[in-house]
Amino acid sequence: MIKIDHVSKQYGDTLAVNDLNFEVSPGVVTGFLGPNGSGKSTTMRIIMGLDQATKGSATINGQRYRDLKAPLREVGALLDAKAVNPNRSARNHLRALAASNNISTKRVDEVLEFTGIASVASKKVGGYSLGMSQRLGIAAALLGDPPVLLFDEPVNGLDPEGIRWIRDFFRSLAKEGRTVFVSSHLMSEMAVSADQIVVIGRGHFITQGSVDDLTRTAQGSVLVRSASPDVLKTALSQATEIETLNDGALNVTGLSAEAIGTIALSAGIALSELTPQRASLEEVFMELTADSLDYGSHSKGDSK
Amino acid sequence: MNPSFWSAFRSEWIKFKSVRSTIIGLITFVVLTIGIGILVTLGIRGHINDHGGEARLSFDATSTSLVGIFLAQFAVGTIGIIMMTAEYATGSIRTTLSAVPNRTRLVVAKAAVLVAALFVLCEVTCFAAFFIGQSIYHGAGLATTLSAPGVLRAVSLAGVYLTLLGILGFGLGLIIRATAASIIAYATVLLILPIIVNFLPSAWQTHLTKFFPGELGRDMFTPSAIANDFSPTTAALMLLGYAAGLVTIGTVLLRRRDA
Repeated sequence: MIKIDHVSKQYGDTLAVNDLNFEVSPGVVTGFLGPNGSGKSTTMRIIMGLDQATKGSATINGQRYRDLKAPLREVGALLDAKAVNPNRSARNHLRALAASNNISTKRVDEVLEFTGIASVASKKVGGYSLGMSQRLGIAAALLGDPPVLLFDEPVNGLDPEGIRWIRDFFRSLAKEGRTVFVSSHLMSEMAVSADQIVVIGRGHFITQGSVDDLTRTAQGSVLVRSASPDVLKTALSQATEIETLNDGALNVTGLSAEAIGTIALSAGIALSELTPQRASLEEVFMELTADSLDYGSHSKGDSK
Repeated sequence: MNPSFWSAFRSEWIKFKSVRSTIIGLITFVVLTIGIGILVTLGIRGHINDHGGEARLSFDATSTSLVGIFLAQFAVGTIGIIMMTAEYATGSIRTTLSAVPNRTRLVVAKAAVLVAALFVLCEVTCFAAFFIGQSIYHGAGLATTLSAPGVLRAVSLAGVYLTLLGILGFGLGLIIRATAASIIAYATVLLILPIIVNFLPSAWQTHLTKFFPGELGRDMFTPSAIANDFSPTTAALMLLGYAAGLVTIGTVLLRRRDA
């Protein structure tokens, strides 16, 4: 389990992360969602003990990363696939990592096999494509067979086949009872690969929940079509918002399809279409982070 | 079994030897140091009689055979610098610190690998340059031996001098983090500062010059004592102090800074 306990991080004048407070549970894939620059990577670096939190603390199974005795056997992380000396071969890179945590060289060959880069393991990493580098990063993360795994934007640079492979891979890791924490700025990706989602924007916590919860709680609308939209519009005065579309259809927010049907019947209006519009995770995300943008722009002054 | 200091040492050792450019750099350093020694000693043998008997009397067969050090000191310094700055240039410092979050342990492990590699290599190179130089001098009756006063000490300390300069570079790299800036700082200390001091009043020069790493090096690899300078042992300890001081400052910074 990863616990982010009221973490704030200030870089000079910039407040990159502001009072983040959440937990990442084992057994599920937890997506960490936010636009670029929202503080995802900063949070990951703080979890890894690379950057120090200005306030608060991040712990892994109750311990700060710096206090872990054999860190690679407790946490596996892929933060930046290109952060490898390009002049070293993949095998030597992994051997050096393995040695630092008393992990056997046999395990190095295992993870090279598993990630499918065994055949190029003796080549310099500098010649690797981004996709191959990602695989090497995953191999490094798996080296110590850790119960907690962190991946920062892992699908970047992967081909469609690689993306599908990595989704299944995250699921299988979670099924084994591990904590899997995956960041992304792509909501569509998180919608299919994560069970739980933590949303942040401009360094602020926005919401946390299952993918289903998030789309359900979002304001859904109903598309209504009739021969007399103006009369219908008047009848639906209880709705929070009614948008008239170009073709005369109405997009009604704040009333269920059932309620609209009943109102139309009692008003004697015939409906030609009545379709509930389910919000996509993407819309939910835009809606959520749109609020945070306003909030975010004041936060710098507030925090001091 | 939980990882220890030796786990970090083994890891750094694998990293050190698995980058081919390091190995090529080390071989180049050996070849150049010995090669320059050969050229210079051959030149001296051919021309020593041009200067008359006095030149023969004050002639130092040891330090002239070790003259390649003046070039080698930039090679070892750069190796030390790159050991740290390459981590920042490639971003691999974050991977390294994920594997070894104890930052003091990491610095000590890296420094230990550097000392182990450089000490052996520099001693072998300096002794080789010395013996080759003496065999060249031999025909002209200029040669000295390791049993002559101060010679064994001077040749041994030549290797120590180069090793310590490697650590000095490592400390600069740890503090500065960027390769080019670190190399400039290193060259400034070894080359530029002595030139600047040359323009100061000579009374100041005698007080300042002897503290420079390069001058401490001359004290270390010259068999007879140099007037107004430190003894070889004091000079070695002072240079060790400089190197250890820089590494200590660098470690404190590494512990405090975000990676």
